[in-house]
Amino acid sequence: MNNREKEDYLREYEQLKKKGKPFFPYAIMKDSVMFCVVAAVLIIMSLVLGAEQGPKADPTTTTYTPRPEWYFFFLFELLRVIKPPALTPIATVGIPTICMVLLLILPFIDRNAERIPWRRPIASFTAVLIIIAMAYLTYLGATGGSPTEIELETNPKYEQGKQIVAQSGCLACHAIGENGAEGGLGPELTEIGATLPRVAIRQSLIAGPGIMPSFEGLGEEDINAVADYLASLD
Amino acid sequence: MKSPFSAKDQPADTKAEDALAQEAEVELTRSEKLAKHSKKAAHHGAEGGKDLAGWVDTRTNSSGIFTAMMSRHVPKGTNWFYTLGSATMFIFAMQAITGVFLAMYYTPSATQAYASITHLTNEVFLGEFVRGLHKWGASLMIILIFLHMARTFFFGAYKYPRELNWVIGVVLLVLTMVMGLTGYLLPFDQRSFWATIVANNITASGPVVGPYLADFLRAGPDFSATTLSRFYALHMLVVPGLMAALIGAHLFLVVKLGTTAPPWVRMARPKHARPTETVAAGVATADVADVPVADERAEETEAPAEDESDSGEQASS
Ligand code: HEC
Ligand code: HEM
Repeated sequence: MNNREKEDYLREYEQLKKKGKPFFPYAIMKDSVMFCVVAAVLIIMSLVLGAEQGPKADPTTTTYTPRPEWYFFFLFELLRVIKPPALTPIATVGIPTICMVLLLILPFIDRNAERIPWRRPIASFTAVLIIIAMAYLTYLGATGGSPTEIELETNPKYEQGKQIVAQSGCLACHAIGENGAEGGLGPELTEIGATLPRVAIRQSLIAGPGIMPSFEGLGEEDINAVADYLASLD
Repeated sequence: MKSPFSAKDQPADTKAEDALAQEAEVELTRSEKLAKHSKKAAHHGAEGGKDLAGWVDTRTNSSGIFTAMMSRHVPKGTNWFYTLGSATMFIFAMQAITGVFLAMYYTPSATQAYASITHLTNEVFLGEFVRGLHKWGASLMIILIFLHMARTFFFGAYKYPRELNWVIGVVLLVLTMVMGLTGYLLPFDQRSFWATIVANNITASGPVVGPYLADFLRAGPDFSATTLSRFYALHMLVVPGLMAALIGAHLFLVVKLGTTAPPWVRMARPKHARPTETVAAGVATADVADVPVADERAEETEAPAEDESDSGEQASS
């Protein structure tokens, strides 16, 4: 926007304002109606949906899949789209940071004087695309639950470890056989025993590599059972 | 549909009066305003402090500010999309109020947090209802803030002279998300606990500052009892305080600059020459005298200020 355009805008704006109506009562009236609608929706949501309380936090089991609030689903799903662990920082921090910085400096990037959305097609098209992408990722996050069962056949002596893995939320991030998160946050574990020795698997469970939580809290016995089970997968 | 806000509802004489009052205000120079003000002051001094509202008013001009805010015009074409910002503010206020009630019963300690929430939910009068308001209010606030942002985006409201208000808005958006993140841990159930661990590990995976930020949030290399109280302090003191201040700045700019008209609502271009005195950015007409118009314009253009307005006059005549 050059100086001339700025002046023109301000002059026209002054006139539009003169033609407008006083804030009280006209704008106040609309705002108040909106307050009532928002308050009504909120009260109904609170009465109908309530505020249930899950089981108490317990560092020694993760019978609960790590699941963020719905409005973070799109960030969580971004991690699944970008798979290789080496690129994880880009998905988790890089892309959101870049998007935020771009959003922050938007007024200084887009200096076009035009304001009508259909006369600035690039800006509007990009915005619509981003909205669709975010909606789609949120939808993916909302529908992608995590199973608590592993169908892959195993030697009965590893049954205990298999049960712990099935119930500890591992499948939210890893795939094992037909179950779990295909293209999840973590690598597939179906044949992990072939590539990773038992000590290394055990180490992974305790250390919690990358964004994986540490499962040290499971206790010596359970960790060993899990390590035995995973090492048997090849 | 007939709008309840149509101009017809306003009696013609009040309209005329409004216009007169506005003109009168424009006419007032700074010194005249001062004179009026001191007369008022003398008057209230004589009352000897009996009239508390008047006493405060002479010292703050609060009624003047209030009247100015209420009688300021919103531009032609202002529609329901313009209520999204104040709806966001309304929800923020609701969150603050319900949050205070929750804080009365909540214990931010790893051993007692869960039990205090159970007590609040099951035993305290209306406890679950207030928790529900706060919990669902968070989701509604996110929805409203995104809608409000979409409105300002598609209406081109982030352009001159409102760039700064957009920037403040983006910071508010980030802080709102931080509120969601820090609040999620507080009930201290399985879901919130494990989600927060993952969120923290995600933070730690960030380049350079990531690990330090994660350590700061966790209050150490491991998730510990202090983590919860740290999240609590951020959630109920630091971030809301910042947000309240920024909302104040945001609204100040909204009042000072005025809200945009929808971009497709236009004035017919005037035929006559451009007026020589131009209005500086974001200055209400009444204050024009206070603003060093020439300086500001000289700063922005290479050509001297007089030349610029001259050529402008030629161009449009
Ligand atoms: C929040 C998601 C998440 C959960 C839950 C999770 N993991 Fe992981 N896991 C990962 C990620 C991501 C990696 C890769 C880390 C890296 O290398 O940066 C990984 C790596 C591993 C590895 C090492 C694999 C390799 O090739 O190096 C093993 C073994 C493993 N996980 C087992 C488990 C088990 C067993 C559980 C359940 C008790 C589990 N994980 C739960 C995300 C998760
Ligand atoms: C806590 C969050 C926020 C609150 C309480 C808030 C409040 C408001 C209010 C009351 C207005 C007046 C006009 C209207 O209601 O539309 C407004 C205008 C504005 N807001 Fe926000 N806002 C918030 C967040 C944001 C965000 C996230 C953005 C964008 C990134 C933003 C950008 C703007 C802009 C550019 C205007 C000027 C609009 C115009 O002049 O037409 N705000 N805000």
